Amino acid sequence: MSTSGETSKVLHPLVSKYLRKERMPHMACPGCGIGQVVHATLLAIDELGMTPKDTVWVQGVGCNSRITYSTWVGDNVDAHHGRIFAVATGLKMARPDMNFILFTGDGDCGAIGGNHFIHACRRNLDVTAILFNNGIYGMTGGQVAPTSPFGTVTTTTPYGNLEDPFDMCQLAIAAGASYVARWRSTDFKPLINSIKKGIHTKGLAFIEVLLQCPTNFGRYALKTSRAQDVLKWIKDHTVTQREAKKLPPEDIEGKVLLGEFVYRPDRTGIVERYQAFLKKHMKE
Amino acid sequence: MSSGVKPGRYFVQGDEAIAEGAIAAGCRFFAGYPITPSSETSEAMARRLPEVGGICLQMEDELASIHSVCAASVGGLKAMTISSGPGISLKLEGLGWGIKNEIPVVVVDVQRAGPSNGVATRVGQGDFYTIRYGSAGGNYGLIALSPKSTQEAFDLTIECFNLSEIFRCPVFLLADETVGHTRELLVIPEESELNVVKRIKPTIPPEQFDMYPLDNPEVIYYPFPNIGEGYGICVSPYTHNSKGYASTAQETQEKMARRLVLKVTENLDKLVRVERRYMEDADFAVVAYGGNARPAIAAVDMVREKGMKVGFFRPIIVWPFPDGEILNVAEKVRRILVCELNIDGQLSREVARAARGKSEVYHLGSGGVEPHLPLQIFNEIMRLYQ
Repeated sequence: MSTSGETSKVLHPLVSKYLRKERMPHMACPGCGIGQVVHATLLAIDELGMTPKDTVWVQGVGCNSRITYSTWVGDNVDAHHGRIFAVATGLKMARPDMNFILFTGDGDCGAIGGNHFIHACRRNLDVTAILFNNGIYGMTGGQVAPTSPFGTVTTTTPYGNLEDPFDMCQLAIAAGASYVARWRSTDFKPLINSIKKGIHTKGLAFIEVLLQCPTNFGRYALKTSRAQDVLKWIKDHTVTQREAKKLPPEDIEGKVLLGEFVYRPDRTGIVERYQAFLKKHMKE
Repeated sequence: MSSGVKPGRYFVQGDEAIAEGAIAAGCRFFAGYPITPSSETSEAMARRLPEVGGICLQMEDELASIHSVCAASVGGLKAMTISSGPGISLKLEGLGWGIKNEIPVVVVDVQRAGPSNGVATRVGQGDFYTIRYGSAGGNYGLIALSPKSTQEAFDLTIECFNLSEIFRCPVFLLADETVGHTRELLVIPEESELNVVKRIKPTIPPEQFDMYPLDNPEVIYYPFPNIGEGYGICVSPYTHNSKGYASTAQETQEKMARRLVLKVTENLDKLVRVERRYMEDADFAVVAYGGNARPAIAAVDMVREKGMKVGFFRPIIVWPFPDGEILNVAEKVRRILVCELNIDGQLSREVARAARGKSEVYHLGSGGVEPHLPLQIFNEIMRLYQ
């Protein structure tokens, strides 16, 4: 991350409407994909007519969290590294009437907070979680992530990563999330629609976004500093579910699938169940 | 929402009294992970909270428990979690988040013999410093009350909740297995006789309100707006300015650190709670806390019958440590015997520090499993009294 740059005099209308002007400029590096995902999120919020009064942004720790924390004009709750789903559980149970949009990273959600993530999916907590997956630890300077592909060179895997990456969507599906989808930062329209659908879904909506980190993934894994090189690498290593059906198996070998994987709108979750349970058990 | 207070006389364990105290104090969110010897509280909360419209969750681990509890408090519910030994070690990670963000919550530690898993079902008193200094990074004050009986487990749990609201911080109830598992009389008074502090709300508009009063570090009874109340609150793991925005400035770090320490240390007069027995004419004092105060009191009664001028002193508030009260004791007596259930000498180290060399301080320790026997303490007094 970098903190350079002067505040632009002209703010994007979405920024004026939903973000704190005094928190601009944000801290994202040039070419970073986080801005695209936040943009898509703000458009989804805007199109749904959600307000700062009824919506809370919840973050973990990582580039996405550090950049978005305290920018939302409503309430901002940023958790310790990995504890975002535990924090979201307390918040949502206390205020089931409010919407919670979670920004988490591959380390936050897939490594240090993996257990909380699995159990939030199992409880099918009614929140919308957006995973910013750049395949590397950005804030700490380019260390290997649980989502780094096999062979990736990072600062802590200088000879290449010996481990296979987590498929976080498969994990969410197996654990019971109501809605699970994966997009690239460049899949702008599907991403907006997906976030809208996620917010509307009762239960846990998990939307993974593969995004470019030119500063660290570019530098160490791909030996480039250009965002377009990283975007091209992401494009070459992904395939939509629809495309995959038409392609021979050898063409999709080793590629990450994109699209909506599950949509189980009838699956109930802890929030709904607890409210029904209280109605039955509360005395007087 | 029902107050949930059930006045009456009960024959229950300390752990159950903690649950009743929490409900009477207005606790409406509990999250925990089962661990002996604290599980009875979790079970009682699971039975009782739904009756009063509260939420009780068994979380996936201790970390999730404390973080969800802190978050529920940010969401507007009074909240509590409980643990022991190894679970407390884990909870310390989330405790820092609660401390830094000035979140009112209650954390109960029913101490058992350690280190590590130790003897899960038996008493120890090894977490005295752990709860005080365990959250990494320092720069905070901490409040902890310690009950010696089932009745105190109830009373002090309510007080912990009140102090957490007044001081805007996590407050510990430092119990132990002796208290947690002792079944004895609990009297729950009428609701009107209980002093329960409600969450203090801002009366000024959001644009004028500072979430964190960094320029008035000693202020207490400071409002805590929750999410959804229009205050646009900012809660985070980062060093924050008065709005809650992350800062790396040395000046901000200094202000925040001073706030977290001074709000406790500048209000000691509102915190001191101690028990004294036979101290008026004493020239020798026995000091103990929590469940181990019980055999110590019995031993002091025994030596008093022999006409020896021995007094008893108990810190009910263990953090901040009642330095002034200990100094008074030290100036009065020749020797102080500290009885506690650890070999390393924790309370005794703190007593020696606060005594400032005014009297000799002796440590009667035990690794735990059994509390001290009155006779053991009696013999030690006889040996040292001369």
